[in-house]
Amino acid sequence: MIRLTIDGQEIEVREGTMIADAAARLGIDIPVYCYHEALGPLGACRMCLVQVEKMPKLATACTTAVAEGMVVHTTGPQVDKGRKGVLEFLLINHPLDCPVCDKGGECFLQDYTFRYGPPQGRFQEPKIQKVKDGPISDLILIDQERCVLCQRCVRFMDEYVGEPELLLEGRGVETVVTTVEGRPAQSQFAGNVIDLCPVGALLAAPYHHKARPWNIEREESVCTLCPVGCTTLTTGRDGRIVRVEGRPVVDRNWGWLCDRGRFGFDFATHPSRLVNSRLHGREEAAARTTREIGQWLREVVAQEGGEAIAVVMGGLHTTEEAHQVYRFATEVLGTRRLVVSRDVPGYVPRGLNGTFEDLSAADAVILVGTDPYESAPVLHLRLRERLKNRRAPLTLMGVAPRNLSRSTLPVETLVTHVGQEADVLAAALKEAAGDHPAVAALLSQGAGIARGIDPTQVSQLSRVLREAERLVVVWDGVEPDVEHVLAALAQARQGQTTRVLPTFGPSNWRGFERAGFDARFDALTRVLEDARDGKIRMLILWGADLLKDYPDRRLVEQAYERVEWLLAEGVFVPEGAEHFDAVVPGAAPGEVYGTYVNMEARLQIASPSVNPPGQARPTKSYLTAWAHALGKPFVVDEEWDPYDDASGDLLPEEPLPQDIEAIRAPDLPEGGVELLVSAQVWANGIPSQILEARLEAAQIARISPLDADALGIREVGVIRVESAEGVLELPVRVDEHLTPGRLLVPLGVGALPVNRLRPGVVKVQRLEEVQTP
Amino acid sequence: MKPEWKEWAQEAKKQFPRANSALLPLLHRIQRAEGWLSPETLTEVAELLDLSPQYVDSVASFYSLFFKQPVGKRVIHVCVGLSCMLAGSDELMHALEERLKISQGQTTPDGEYTLLEAECLAACDLAPVAQVNLRYRGPIPPEEADRLLTEEVSS
Ligand code: SF4
Ligand code: SF4
Ligand code: FES
Ligand code: FES
Repeated sequence: MIRLTIDGQEIEVREGTMIADAAARLGIDIPVYCYHEALGPLGACRMCLVQVEKMPKLATACTTAVAEGMVVHTTGPQVDKGRKGVLEFLLINHPLDCPVCDKGGECFLQDYTFRYGPPQGRFQEPKIQKVKDGPISDLILIDQERCVLCQRCVRFMDEYVGEPELLLEGRGVETVVTTVEGRPAQSQFAGNVIDLCPVGALLAAPYHHKARPWNIEREESVCTLCPVGCTTLTTGRDGRIVRVEGRPVVDRNWGWLCDRGRFGFDFATHPSRLVNSRLHGREEAAARTTREIGQWLREVVAQEGGEAIAVVMGGLHTTEEAHQVYRFATEVLGTRRLVVSRDVPGYVPRGLNGTFEDLSAADAVILVGTDPYESAPVLHLRLRERLKNRRAPLTLMGVAPRNLSRSTLPVETLVTHVGQEADVLAAALKEAAGDHPAVAALLSQGAGIARGIDPTQVSQLSRVLREAERLVVVWDGVEPDVEHVLAALAQARQGQTTRVLPTFGPSNWRGFERAGFDARFDALTRVLEDARDGKIRMLILWGADLLKDYPDRRLVEQAYERVEWLLAEGVFVPEGAEHFDAVVPGAAPGEVYGTYVNMEARLQIASPSVNPPGQARPTKSYLTAWAHALGKPFVVDEEWDPYDDASGDLLPEEPLPQDIEAIRAPDLPEGGVELLVSAQVWANGIPSQILEARLEAAQIARISPLDADALGIREVGVIRVESAEGVLELPVRVDEHLTPGRLLVPLGVGALPVNRLRPGVVKVQRLEEVQTP
Repeated sequence: MKPEWKEWAQEAKKQFPRANSALLPLLHRIQRAEGWLSPETLTEVAELLDLSPQYVDSVASFYSLFFKQPVGKRVIHVCVGLSCMLAGSDELMHALEERLKISQGQTTPDGEYTLLEAECLAACDLAPVAQVNLRYRGPIPPEEADRLLTEEVSS
């Protein structure tokens, strides 16, 4: 540790810390442009000048490491003069067009000039003119005249993301930030440069000229589009959300978002948003619909009791809303059939759940089935940051039916057949700790043969399972047996850490569980089977869309046909509208206060920015009305608090799962193409007009170049997929990175109803080739 | 991509421990052969040295003597630095523009001449000074502008 004094205050920091960070720790603000802790020092802008005693000249606080006994002054006439000079230079060619700049009022060039700058520049010559509002992509604009050449944006894309789409072109005052030959930036992380840019140079196209800072309210919120749950600031203006920004949380996250979350906020104002109640397929006044539903509820409860009603929780609801539904269902209706909508069968017990801190501290990470770049984008960035930390090497492996490696994140992938992940993991575990009782129990039914897999790869995996001190498994939940392997693994590794991060949705499933719902897939399946068998008279979907999501479409259809009353609440009309007796419009994220629980089992608060549109209402107003119809007292408990005192913002800890279930070796059919499903944030079925083109491009099945060749498809085509369960027509495109012999279909896209088939071997035939211009 | 570029890239790489150091010599060699560096060339150089196209573009655009547009057989740089300006570089430039019927920054349609401005060429004692294919010529009083167009130069 190094001791130094900054502005008269003593502080002790780690060796290698920069003065800027040491000062920040004391709450002393040193102005910076180019410096960002995540990107490391550069020293390009000279804004951070401070005075260090015994140094002949002012020093840049962002590139000067602390030294024992150092005495730093961040104010004083010398420092003032330095800052003044730097700002005068930075403003020489600046157009001073703050009145028409989107960042006016939120800009560090304004702030620092106001605080430290000269009132006037001395430069008389004409200013250099550059591109204004030029495109970086369809979503990002650049005003090159306002750029202070701090290089944050260029370095972020190049070094941090690994997709070097931006560059500095030219030299000196002529230098500009641009893309190679003006080609639009494609990266799903490019939007972060808008937040990173300290001035008004990089702008969000959808927010361009939309508001001034005094028109808007910025509320702290959370992105709900995938289980990462990135922290956001939501900008509301005149009852509409007009912008989403990343929100850094000290010592926890840098505030990165992916562009899906940053620009996909407009689903709540999408034309397909449900804003009117629907009764028997037609729009109906809210009061009438609510009354009718109240009558049905009364009838069912009176005739058969509450157990004839089941509630499926899903969608983008908050934990509090789920808890209100839970209380209504248990106290007013009297049913315990409360389950969560699921699109994959896997489950992670709380006792195994890990956090992002575990990830940062891990010495080995195994990706099981999931490609975070597609399923949980900002997790991909976290992994990259972890991998780049050279002080602590990381082993990064994958076990999946396709190669998970990317140029931005090399993953040593053990490529399995579809449905073989659990067995291969079990085989490695057998080799690593075969005599441990938990492992023996897991293998008692003969699993762990890893048929057709190179034994050296299995050994390599087993070495990681045995030797890693802090292991994190990131899992997509597609193969349910993996849960049991992970439970046995954690048992066998007592003394070493084993933590799991689930990338499956719905994004707040753990919150629904916290509120009292059963999040296990089997529970949902039982409800659907009971409905099919006539044991349930009324099925209520609260935000859920089972035809779209549940892996066995047939069962959902049978259940929908059989139940007497089928109700839904949601932000969109669920698929199979013809089945529903009533659909009522609910509030979307950003419209109600509440908490969301992310893949870390961490609670995060979202404050509302706007009111629900049209007839859409928050959950509690429906529940109160129906309780009234049933003549039962029901007061929404506004005080209910999902937090737990002992565990802070994490859900209460639980012990490791003790009972280990034995798994079986899978039957692996030979030959053919193997169908595999995966959750992808760009194809998760939530619409957006801003992102329309990109979402469309992602909502397509994918095959490898090799298989495409065999089918006679060059880029895009339509194929016929056949299996024992049925036949499906799918649009496909060629994916250079996909493992040959696989057909990958995103989950939850209405146009790709992959839940008509089961993952595994299918027959594939070309129907037509689509020529792309 | 010209077949010999691969070889040149190998040779350049051998001289330095890191690929990005080989970039400048390779760009020079290709420009000498081709006369200029097209966007395609830059992309191909990136490939040859396993660098990102962004990096190559940044480097090539940093140096004004890498031509990112085709230039004429005779490239004339007129110094517009302070000494040369006081000694009449504006008039020299105008004279050339008139003679060649192009503006500075342009190339004559027949591909013979390219007229460019340069910052101080560090030869103020010869002001107003110019370069023809990087050979110094000066002082060149405006009325003698023709000398720059006719005098023998090696290319
Ligand atoms: S565009 Fe913004 S972030 Fe990028 S270099 Fe310029 S000022 Fe910095
Ligand atoms: S990574 Fe997920 S939570 Fe974060 S911004 Fe993207 S979609 Fe939203
Ligand atoms: S912040 Fe220190 S030089 Fe830019
Ligand atoms: S000003 Fe022309 S050579 Fe110096």
